[in-house]
Amino acid sequence: MAIATQKTAAETAYLEGFDAGGDWLAAERQKGFDAFAVTGLPHRRMEDWKWTDLRQLIGKAYPPAKGGAVGDIDALAAKCPLKDIARGHLTFVNGEYDAGRSQLPASGDVEVTALSTASSALPIGETAADPIDGLNRAYVTDGAFIRIKAGSNADAPLELVFINSSRAEATFTTRNVIELEDGASATVFETHMGGHDAYVSNSVTEVRLGNGARLDRVKLQMEGAASYHLSNLKADLGAEAKLQDFTLTMGSATTRQQGFITFNGEHTDATVSGAFLLNRKQHNDTRLVVDHKVPNCVSRELFKCVMDDEARGIFQGKVIVRQDAQKTDGKQSSHALLLSPTAEFDAKPELEIYADDVVCGHGATSGDLDENLLFYLRARGIPEKKAKSMLISAFVAESFDDVDNEAVRDVLKDLADSWLAAR
Amino acid sequence: MADVETIERVREIEVDKYKYGFETELESELAPKGLNEDIVKFISAKKGEPDWMLEWRLEAYARWRQMTEPTWAKVDYPKIDFEDLYYYAAPKVQGDGPKSLDEVDPELLRTYEKLGIPLKEQEVLAGVEGARVAVDAVFDSVSVVTTFKEELAKAGVIFCPISEAVREHPELVKKYLGSVVPQADNFYAALNSAVFSDGSFVYIPEGVRCPMELSTYFRINEKNTGQFERTLIIADKGSYVSYLEGCTAPMRDENQLHAAVVELVALDDAEIKYSTVQNWYPGDSEGKGGIYNFVTKRADCRGHHSKVSWTQVETGSAITWKYPSCILRGDNSRGEFYSIAISNGKQQVDSGTKMIHLGKNSSSRIISKGIAAGRSDNTYRGLVSAHRKATNARNFTQCDSLLIGDRCGAHTVPYIEAKTSTAQFEHEATTSKISDDQMFYCQARGLNEEEAVALIVNGFVRDVIQQLPMEFMAETQRLIGISLEGSVG
Repeated sequence: MAIATQKTAAETAYLEGFDAGGDWLAAERQKGFDAFAVTGLPHRRMEDWKWTDLRQLIGKAYPPAKGGAVGDIDALAAKCPLKDIARGHLTFVNGEYDAGRSQLPASGDVEVTALSTASSALPIGETAADPIDGLNRAYVTDGAFIRIKAGSNADAPLELVFINSSRAEATFTTRNVIELEDGASATVFETHMGGHDAYVSNSVTEVRLGNGARLDRVKLQMEGAASYHLSNLKADLGAEAKLQDFTLTMGSATTRQQGFITFNGEHTDATVSGAFLLNRKQHNDTRLVVDHKVPNCVSRELFKCVMDDEARGIFQGKVIVRQDAQKTDGKQSSHALLLSPTAEFDAKPELEIYADDVVCGHGATSGDLDENLLFYLRARGIPEKKAKSMLISAFVAESFDDVDNEAVRDVLKDLADSWLAAR
Repeated sequence: MADVETIERVREIEVDKYKYGFETELESELAPKGLNEDIVKFISAKKGEPDWMLEWRLEAYARWRQMTEPTWAKVDYPKIDFEDLYYYAAPKVQGDGPKSLDEVDPELLRTYEKLGIPLKEQEVLAGVEGARVAVDAVFDSVSVVTTFKEELAKAGVIFCPISEAVREHPELVKKYLGSVVPQADNFYAALNSAVFSDGSFVYIPEGVRCPMELSTYFRINEKNTGQFERTLIIADKGSYVSYLEGCTAPMRDENQLHAAVVELVALDDAEIKYSTVQNWYPGDSEGKGGIYNFVTKRADCRGHHSKVSWTQVETGSAITWKYPSCILRGDNSRGEFYSIAISNGKQQVDSGTKMIHLGKNSSSRIISKGIAAGRSDNTYRGLVSAHRKATNARNFTQCDSLLIGDRCGAHTVPYIEAKTSTAQFEHEATTSKISDDQMFYCQARGLNEEEAVALIVNGFVRDVIQQLPMEFMAETQRLIGISLEGSVG
């Protein structure tokens, strides 16, 4: 496929703003830059990006930057909904570690470091043929490195907070590594907050689970209304491990979130779910690739997407079952609720299956509120607006059930309710 | 009476015999290999076409020159050399019948024996059901004989080779040809538009219910000849027609290209039912020599309350690339797609449908059953979209895949685009295998493994089989069993 040769302003800014630096990340940055220089920003002629043309959507130059935050960062930090549940915090402001707003847990079994403070090289995963990963690797300024020693647990939740606020157009790039050794467990929150002005936030999280490890991860995407949020989750799962991942997307003008989940060991269980609460002209494209490489694993995906005004939600999910991955159980569902005649939902739930003894399926629905349900509530004297809110709230809440922590579920419900109240 | 005549007439041209894999030795008039403007002019001149038709072809040719082959489908095949194909072959005289069956590959014969001879079946069905089937038999590229024309003419139905329609009914052809699949729609449609040899033309006038099932047998006969069939069916206001298409092809070593275009137009309150059974030569066990089937089929539900129903049974071809689609333009229009795609050996199927909702209250239904066995790949690829103005559009999609053996692949690639909140879309897909319990149950009752698989698969695809016209149902059930032979044990 012919790739457009003319560089956009954003691409030029990225290509010209490169500086590998002199620290231990220099080699990784160079790899990322080389990969990005080949692909450039993705565009609609690329199948996986057909609904999210970044070349077109990122209309201006957003040079890679770090620090220089403006505005009331404290106010943003105070608004982080999960801050009271978490027992440790790592805060990054405009891609720079903020020691003053961070409290690290004091346990020998739990190793938590900001990349920028590491004295020697930390294990950053392999380069992926993906434009977000390429950009992230090239311009990474900081991020969290979390390693839980074998057999120990860090169930007291640890929160990673990313606050971006900049008056000048800029791209802030963070990369996190979460490594759970055999039998370890942890709960990690990721909260992304942002100021009003336009910026690009690029955030990659790598997860490596050893045999029998368990990670519960909850991500809140509440970036600034004019921002772009590009993010990847790359998870490699060992045997008998468990991944419970939930993402609530409310922020940003344009969001592209990708998940690449790979099963490397048998009897592993992964649940990746999420909810979209979008309005105005928000655009959120979530793409998930679940790769069953080994037999006897279970994957579950559930996405509940609510779109109001002229918002556009996109769900692209792909389940791959390799030839050896017999006895795979894979289920994927995406459900959309369109609250305005001009809202849009696109879905591409894909199955690619090479093993015969499997149970795989997907379901996708799209529509507005059920008239009958609404009538039922109204007939019981509930005003229309309230009845609608109840139905929408119930629709979204189904996805929260995948979060085990009750306090977190309550926070998610409150967030959904306040979004509905503002309608 | 007429029924018996048809059968005899068909027998005269031995249309059934090619099922056995002959190359009927008709003396062919071949255009030289390769494709250029002169070949297009040659084809057009051969058919005695008016100037406007030639210009239309040349325009398509010019566009095709600038296009590149699509590569997005999940199929893999050696690059086709379009300069190494013949683009025109016509029988000079009607063949005096094929030689004896002894010359035919016994493997293929056995298959057809099992399948049953459609001609006999037609006889039986004609006697029992009183069903009548007109046959517009296509020998390679030129329609050799068209039967039942007169009776159809009485009803005002026009059913003739498209080359004849170009001469006899230019106003209809001019108005509708390319109006559903434009010349430059895609690479293969453009190629077809430039060099289409022949095909069927059907026009059902206002308020007429076509008195019989219309049927065409396609065959690929001349060596190295791509087939470029062009079918155009127009159902005028309030009319109804059911069209059957069945395909077979003889054994062959070199891959054959087939790039057909089918255009359906349904006006107000009209209904078209289009059924296909495709069992072209899939190649040998190594996948060598099968047909490349790159087909563009599209229906335009132009009128309000119009309806188009596609039913397909795909068991043949080395490569199938086919997406019968419906543009639901009219308010309250309806599109349906029922498909069975079976792949065995090294076959590759990439098939599905597109339901494009433009009209208010338009509805569609997709039932797709894919069965992959052997070392084949079977992909469902479909699009359901609702335009912002398509208020209250409805779609229900169900794609089920069945895997037989651990060396095949079954894939589902659906696209859903809802641009209005009032559209209600539901999509469901499952992939599974035949359970041991089912097999045990059947085998405990004395069925052998292959029979058990055929029985279970026939149950799996029942929803679709029921949509087929009577004439195809029995044949299809047997075809499914044969297609899966060698897939177990």
